Amino acid sequence: MKPDAYDIKAKLGVVFQDVAVFEELTVQDNIDYFCGLYIKDKKKRKQYINEAIELVGLEEFRKFYPKQLSGGLLRRLNIACGIAHKPTLIFLDEPTVAVDPQSRNNILDGIKKLRDNGATIVYTTHYMEEVEMICDRVIILDKGKVLASGTTDELKELAKIEEKVTVEVNNLDSKYIETIRKMQQVEDVDYRGNILLVTYKKGENNLVELMEYLKKEEIQYNKIYSERPTLNDVFLELTGKELRD
Amino acid sequence: MAFSDIENSEKLEIINIAIVENQEFKDNKIFQEAFEELSDENSEDRLFDTKYVTEEEAKKLLQDDEIVGYMILEEKPRVIFQSNGINETIFKYVTEEIVQNTEIVGNLAKDEIEKEMMRGNYHLDYEKIYKNVLEMVQEQEVRIENVSNSNLSYTMIEFYTLIAMACLYGGILGMVAINQNLANMSHNGKRVSVAPISKAKMVLSSVLAGYVAQMIGLAILFVYTIFVLKVDYGSNLPLIILLGAVGSLAGLSMGLAIGTVVKTNEGVKTGIVISVTMLGCFLSGMMGITMKYIVDKNIPIVNKINPASMITDGFYSLYYYNTLNRYYFNIVSLLLFAIIMIMISYHSLRRQTYDSI
Repeated sequence: MKPDAYDIKAKLGVVFQDVAVFEELTVQDNIDYFCGLYIKDKKKRKQYINEAIELVGLEEFRKFYPKQLSGGLLRRLNIACGIAHKPTLIFLDEPTVAVDPQSRNNILDGIKKLRDNGATIVYTTHYMEEVEMICDRVIILDKGKVLASGTTDELKELAKIEEKVTVEVNNLDSKYIETIRKMQQVEDVDYRGNILLVTYKKGENNLVELMEYLKKEEIQYNKIYSERPTLNDVFLELTGKELRD
Repeated sequence: MAFSDIENSEKLEIINIAIVENQEFKDNKIFQEAFEELSDENSEDRLFDTKYVTEEEAKKLLQDDEIVGYMILEEKPRVIFQSNGINETIFKYVTEEIVQNTEIVGNLAKDEIEKEMMRGNYHLDYEKIYKNVLEMVQEQEVRIENVSNSNLSYTMIEFYTLIAMACLYGGILGMVAINQNLANMSHNGKRVSVAPISKAKMVLSSVLAGYVAQMIGLAILFVYTIFVLKVDYGSNLPLIILLGAVGSLAGLSMGLAIGTVVKTNEGVKTGIVISVTMLGCFLSGMMGITMKYIVDKNIPIVNKINPASMITDGFYSLYYYNTLNRYYFNIVSLLLFAIIMIMISYHSLRRQTYDSI
């Protein structure tokens, strides 16, 4: 995109990872300034500012300066500054990093509202539960390369695992772990603390089979439950578990 | 109020000098009359206590520290000092001024003669014409006097360099203004760079805002020095304000250029602006008037391109010279400096593109 592609730029909204606001301006003035770069009509701008403030829930903080806001409120102000001009394509770069659960919830609700109002949102995050909550289509990128794309269900099908069984059990001998590892369809076994996590590739009745084995060996357990793989599992499966920069 | 009476306590002292009374000096009426007038015991504007001596006597007087320096008028006047200081600087500047005015007198006399000839008057009284021109120039230009009707002081000179420094610190505002518009320098710059608005417009408006802020700061400085420190700027105040305004523009544009050309973080850029400003002020005489003279004498090019020197020199010129030529020369120099800095910034900004932000 060329620097003078103003027609395209006018339709874009960008919320950067770092909070980009003026410390010398109040919440309302900050939104007014950045919205003013797009909307010249004062009356229209005033309406847009009010809607943006309402969207991110900053009504009570209009006259506050950024230094008076908490991390979560700052993030919400950052979003309001990026979307007040009602763009049709919005880029959000990890907008919920280091915010409290209430603010995160508020931010995600706001993003859903923007989507419902017709905007296309490109949302960048490392939090897979957020992806599952708000995204229609997902692209997994690693080191600049697209590893997978599709809906969350499509991506989950890409993973080699189909079921995860978690057992809360005390002092499990390693010989039992090795036996479980050798069972059919078992992809991986992990025992940490008192939690035994058994991951299965495919198949049915994995939970019943494991329960029968524990009963036969007279192993006492407190809790046992089965769950589908999460997007987080898919992510780790596709990108590997080694630590990144 | 500690400074309220500071002007009176540090009025410019009379400078002891000597002039070698050789034939060239005896033949040069302008030099004779100028130094006579500047050494007039009955004048309130007396600047020198002049001794007319031979070269040997002058050397001895200088060795005995009875004079700050002496002048020998040869093809061009030579001023000899033993050390560098404000008195020596004044002596040198006065001599240079008389040389300049000698040329003016020569040109005016030539014009007068031509005028008379065009009127058909070929029987000219050259001595009378020359005397009339001399009197005219003496009344209007040659006399080295304090045109502000208040005495020049060392403290005043300190104030001028401080005003110059305040002007150049506008560079920080210029640097901040540009940083706020660069995507690789500030988070706000990222927002601006994705907005549908031209970078030139954004930079220009930011710089104008910075200039307005700088002018407000300068106004507060003048109000403080006039009403709190009781500094008397005399009748030159409008010219001093004009010089401050142009100096601020030069400072702002310098900050703009540093902001665009230097690729580093804002803290380092601020350090560079402050360092350049401090060095410029030091070389222009902030920490001692002697420095200005040393630089002028040994590496004159430095102060020719040093905006702090242009500003302080402009202030000095209002007090040392009766004409405003040198003052306007400094104003034009500062404007040129500002234009060059802005062009460097513009050129640097135009080439900036980002792979990602």
